[in-house]
Amino acid sequence: MDNKEQQKAHRPRQAGSKKDKKSKKQKKNEEKNNPKAFAPFSGRKAEKLARRKQELDQKKLHVPLVDRTPTEPPPVIVAVVGPPQRYTKHNLTEIKGPITVVSGKKRRLTFIECTNDMNCMIDIAKIADLVLLLIDASFGFEMETFEFLNILQTHGFPKIMGVLTHLDKFKNNKTLRTTKKRLKHRFWTEIYQGAKLFYLSGIINGRYPNQEIQNLSRFISVMKFRPLIWRNTHPYLVADRVEDLTDPEEVRLNPLCDRTVTLYGYLRGTNMKSTMKVHIPGAGDQILSDISILPDPCPLPDKVRKSLSEKHKVIYAPMSDVGGIMYDKDAVYINIPGSFTRKSDQIDTEVDDNGPEYEQGPGEKMVIHLQDAPDTLADKLEESELTIFANSAPMKASDLVEEVNSGSIDSKQIDENIRGRRKVRFADDVKKHDGGEQETDSDEESDFEEDYDEFEEKWEKVASRSFAFNRVNMKNPEINDEEIAYAESDSDIEDILGQGVDDDPALDGSLKWKSNLAEKAKKMFFSNRRINIMQLIYSNEKTPEEIASGKFSDLLKVEAASNEKDNVEEEENDEEFFKIIKSQDKDSESMNTIDSTKTYLDISNLDKWDDEVMLESIRNRFITGSLEDDSSVGENDSSDNEVHGDFEDLETGEVVKVEGSKKSENEIEQEALAQKRALLKKKFDAEYDEKDGTPKVDFYDEIKEGISKQLQLNREEFEDDDSHTRAMVEGFRPGTYVRILLRRMPCEFVKYFDPAYPIIVGGLLATEENLGFIQVRIKRHRWHKKILKTKDPLIFSLGWRRFQSMPIYTLNDGTRNRMLKYTPEHMHCLATFYGPIHPPNTSFCAVQSVSNDNAATFRISATGVVLDINHSVEIVKKLKLTGAPYKIFKNTAFIKDMFTSALEVAKFEGAAIRTVSGIRGQVKKPITKPEGHFRATFEDKVLMSDIIFLRAWYPIIPKKFYNPVTSLLLSSKKEWQGMRLTGQIRKELELTPPINPDSQYKKIERKARRFNPLHIPLSLQANLPFASKPKILKKRTKQTYLQKRAVVLEPKEKKMYTLMQQINTLKKEKDRKRKEKQVKKHHEYAKKMAKRDTILAEKDKKERREYFRKQGLLQKRSATYSEGSSKRSKTS
Amino acid sequence: MSNKSSTGKVLSFSGHEYLRQRLILATLSGKIVKIIKIRSENDNPGLRDFEASFLRLLEKVTNGSTIDINYAGTTILYKPGVITGGKIYHDCGTSRAIGYFLEPLIVLAPFGKQPFDLTFNGITNDNVDTSMDSIRTVTLLQLRRFGIEEGLELKITKRGSAPLGGGEINFKCPIVRTLKPIQFTDEGRIKRIRGIACCTRVSPQNANRLVDSARSVLNRYIPDVYIYTDVYKGEESGKSPGFALSLVAESTTGALYSAEQAALPGETPEDIGSKTAKLLLNELSKGGCVDSLNQWLTLLLMVLGPEDVSKIRVGKLTAFTIQYLRDLRDFFAVTFKIKSDSTNNTLLMACVGVGYVNYSKKTN
Repeated sequence: MDNKEQQKAHRPRQAGSKKDKKSKKQKKNEEKNNPKAFAPFSGRKAEKLARRKQELDQKKLHVPLVDRTPTEPPPVIVAVVGPPQRYTKHNLTEIKGPITVVSGKKRRLTFIECTNDMNCMIDIAKIADLVLLLIDASFGFEMETFEFLNILQTHGFPKIMGVLTHLDKFKNNKTLRTTKKRLKHRFWTEIYQGAKLFYLSGIINGRYPNQEIQNLSRFISVMKFRPLIWRNTHPYLVADRVEDLTDPEEVRLNPLCDRTVTLYGYLRGTNMKSTMKVHIPGAGDQILSDISILPDPCPLPDKVRKSLSEKHKVIYAPMSDVGGIMYDKDAVYINIPGSFTRKSDQIDTEVDDNGPEYEQGPGEKMVIHLQDAPDTLADKLEESELTIFANSAPMKASDLVEEVNSGSIDSKQIDENIRGRRKVRFADDVKKHDGGEQETDSDEESDFEEDYDEFEEKWEKVASRSFAFNRVNMKNPEINDEEIAYAESDSDIEDILGQGVDDDPALDGSLKWKSNLAEKAKKMFFSNRRINIMQLIYSNEKTPEEIASGKFSDLLKVEAASNEKDNVEEEENDEEFFKIIKSQDKDSESMNTIDSTKTYLDISNLDKWDDEVMLESIRNRFITGSLEDDSSVGENDSSDNEVHGDFEDLETGEVVKVEGSKKSENEIEQEALAQKRALLKKKFDAEYDEKDGTPKVDFYDEIKEGISKQLQLNREEFEDDDSHTRAMVEGFRPGTYVRILLRRMPCEFVKYFDPAYPIIVGGLLATEENLGFIQVRIKRHRWHKKILKTKDPLIFSLGWRRFQSMPIYTLNDGTRNRMLKYTPEHMHCLATFYGPIHPPNTSFCAVQSVSNDNAATFRISATGVVLDINHSVEIVKKLKLTGAPYKIFKNTAFIKDMFTSALEVAKFEGAAIRTVSGIRGQVKKPITKPEGHFRATFEDKVLMSDIIFLRAWYPIIPKKFYNPVTSLLLSSKKEWQGMRLTGQIRKELELTPPINPDSQYKKIERKARRFNPLHIPLSLQANLPFASKPKILKKRTKQTYLQKRAVVLEPKEKKMYTLMQQINTLKKEKDRKRKEKQVKKHHEYAKKMAKRDTILAEKDKKERREYFRKQGLLQKRSATYSEGSSKRSKTS
Repeated sequence: MSNKSSTGKVLSFSGHEYLRQRLILATLSGKIVKIIKIRSENDNPGLRDFEASFLRLLEKVTNGSTIDINYAGTTILYKPGVITGGKIYHDCGTSRAIGYFLEPLIVLAPFGKQPFDLTFNGITNDNVDTSMDSIRTVTLLQLRRFGIEEGLELKITKRGSAPLGGGEINFKCPIVRTLKPIQFTDEGRIKRIRGIACCTRVSPQNANRLVDSARSVLNRYIPDVYIYTDVYKGEESGKSPGFALSLVAESTTGALYSAEQAALPGETPEDIGSKTAKLLLNELSKGGCVDSLNQWLTLLLMVLGPEDVSKIRVGKLTAFTIQYLRDLRDFFAVTFKIKSDSTNNTLLMACVGVGYVNYSKKTN
């Protein structure tokens, strides 16, 4: 600030050439720039402009969505889609699997390459935050590009950036420009007008030009992302490392045994809970057996820097052999950068086994030395000795195994023990007393524990646990709970609470230090009392009744009077344990066993409310109570909370109380008054300020503000909690690097693992693992060649899943869902299929096959959205039953040929029937004699020739067919074959479609109907009015007047007639001649054209021959060249 | 006693206690639940008639759910279906009051395919289950904070006292897609007390006596005490004589506390009046933003909220609520962060919702 003030102000030249120049320029600008040129002059125009601006503003608005990306977000997933390309600056020998790099101060990127396999494309579309769509400009758009765009659209449409490559192939500048423009516009119509399209000229020396790549990465690093609904409601993880932890012995015995697999990656989406069900697309549903946080392998630079130094540009790609050190839960992995050749066949599972050719540094030497070890790491560990105390005998890990006395201990358990050792090293004060600590403290060794002194072990756990608190390892809640409770039974917990320590018979003089320990542990225990309350409630060790009745009263500080009483009762109950059973034996159900919220209320000690002191004690709960008391005690009005801050500990609370009591009465009164005043002011402000002062907040801003407020709350709520509580309460946050343990994975998952195919671990919400009937709105894709057939299997990509199911297409006609045989050509229809439940409004796309058999056509068959979930469906198809009358009375007829039994008729009693001519009727009763015949009544007399039909609706139930696509479990991932389409089966088995003779179109033969003449009885005729009487006349015997006379033309008339005839004859002759001429001309022209065509064809043929000759030569030449080069490389 | 174990997809519980909540939580979470050892040690083993009736009701409000009960009635296997709702009539019988059936259904109702329109027949007020008055004036208002407001209605068309019942109620609830998270930690101070004194087939004077005795206890704190007398006559008054009182205290921040009592044979209105008032005082002394009767409801709705933090202040946890917390953990894997506030002996409970959406709601 001071510096600025000291700086001299700019003083423009007052004279000289510079001044002249300036003034000239100004003058020129003045002429050009009319400052008011764009201001509206008329009110109408102003209004129009304002309206337009408003419209543009409104267009920009989106529905506010909750953005759940954490403060330290996980790396952005950049999917590179298109023909194989080179992208990264690092010269990776091979790009396999995801590659994570730090690209900026606050941004990391994970690159994934996407092959054109349909499975891969679908999976990538579900996780990519940004898609780099590589388009070969020399080729144009590929079918895959459009397919991928379509998949993206149905799965939320992440950001897309087009990259045009191979621009150097264009020699002509004009064609380059036009191609660019054409491709750009096509790209825009697909995404949105003005979508960003990048141009890469081509590979020079195996790399893209630096400048262009830099621009591209700059664009990526400033990109903003809009939250996508599915990913914003589901946790997921893209595995960047996969490890098989199965016991090798087990694998040796049974190569097809289920595997234990760990997956590593950054969590994304929402919080992942430790016992969540997950779906791995391509491998099926799994239950997480363990999640643990690992240190970030690719951390953001900790200090705020202006720019990123090379040192901080970390790259992490465990699947593609890039240098870097990796921290696992139990080991450090070192990858040696550089080029290697394999030195020996000695395979060490843990460390990269590549020997260097060049001169080695000491560190590298060490690593290489390690590889020469004859034993595996596990063996070494077993042999390794650990001296913990100077005077104690060294321990061997193998001893431990013997001690444990379990025949088959897998390497993992050993690993964990080692880990445990490491952990204990920090627990200095506990170590002094402890001899055999390394025997315990792995996470799941409940079997181990039995062998040791229970008491000792308990305190060890307390100690080790407390020092390893920052490391979260959730096995599953129960085991964890046990650990924190440090006990197995009720009595134990009492010990911990210090209530029963003295009574413990195990505690004699010689073990005095242990009691000391207990004290310590108790202190630690009480220092974090909140966990204790959660512990009590969630540990399942005490019944709810026990907890509620205040066995832990000293923790919760509930009313003393009632508790004492309860405690006494409770203790009695505890001593005589079988009392409860006694009460159960009797049929009278005690209050506790009745399932009702009300009975859990304590209504026994209401007498205390007769006491005046007691009555006065809650005076402050009412608005009539005094304010002073309130402020000093810290009754929680919102303002009070703010004043006194957090009361987490009892001690601090007490301190505040002391302060309060120190204040004189006067001060308190003043304080209260001030508070009151402040409150009033606040109220006044709230009422009046908004109207004139601050601008009115509109609906959009209000919602946005609400969202951000809630996010703020979410962040702050668990800020000061330890990681264990956080993991328990809110799960694992997105952005953390975790290791996921899955048990019972199919062996093919490991056996046929291919890093080119992404492994996604998608979390499932509560009901999403269940199956049901899903009704969707579906539309055949307009680029898909065929319409879709009902009950033909279709592969859906819905939510995380890819599965095959058999949809039934329907249309709702207002009253019912009618089955369709095929999807409509250009219209939405409904489809119902059986599959895993997904929330309504989830969109999906469907393909007929995921294998690469018909890559030439557009493979996306249909897209749609989920409408409804149910466990039963109402789909009908029309069924017309026909019959014929065989006996007709007045309005009654007997119908045959409609049903075959009386039972069938009985089912349709009362159903409406109809004749073809439209006479309506009703089914009455079946007739006993000819089975299936029935009596029916009609509104009019039917004819014997009438066909009677009954229109019914036949319910259709979709097949319960659900077949998850398990492409990841195949050796060749592209070859997944599900259920075949009907057409495919017929083709392969060479079957013809079945022919229903009734459905064949035949020539309709209609006999001419002969009607008998209408005969009216004479008596009836006599009564008819004259108009209605049949008028039958006698045949004339004489000719009529007109019949007798001949008609002759007048001479004038005759003349006119002949003239007209002559004219017409002439015209006709003329026309005939003209037509003849025209035909002749046409023939001539055709001949001419044919001649030309033959010449052209010959020319074309010639040209073609020439072209292919050249092409052949080129190919030959290039073949020989490559051969030569390969030969050269072999020799070198 | 009632411990839990899970094998794969099926959650297993034992004991007949907390049967309703487990069935309801299973329905909401879509998990299959198996309940074993239902009164297996008892002379009269198996399900009681009201429990069977509740299962039947559950079948009515859902589609596709299957309930397998073994021969002795000591084991249930419940596979939940989709909550459908719609117009449903159910006769609740006389062994338990309507509250037993209605209370758990309140949570299902917002997540149905169609709005619930339930008509129940049975006992409206008794001393075992929550009375209809309390549900109407307190429980249903809890839903309001979670965004369920319009169309929520409970009508007591007929009152029925124990033992013969004969009451009838009509419950209507709209459907929602998602709930809102709540932040409710300010309990405020009591600004008014309301109540309903009802009587059936007894002298209307009893209602007035109830009011007087309750007021005599409560008036010392606050003048704004108003207790309605609700006397049902003739056809609408059910089959048995009886009277009951339910009280509601409302705080400045909208927290509601309730207490209720129904008369047992031989009790005078004065007894009931003062007893209910004292119960209310008891409830008030516990503090918190929600009373003990409705703790479970609030906590469950917090769990079903979006993936945001919900926070509430509660007084002393009841045993029922504690078991509810455990069951919530088993079904939804949600653990509450419980922090005790030593300044006024309350607990601050916070959780992250599971992001529950109404799967059965149709879209167009």
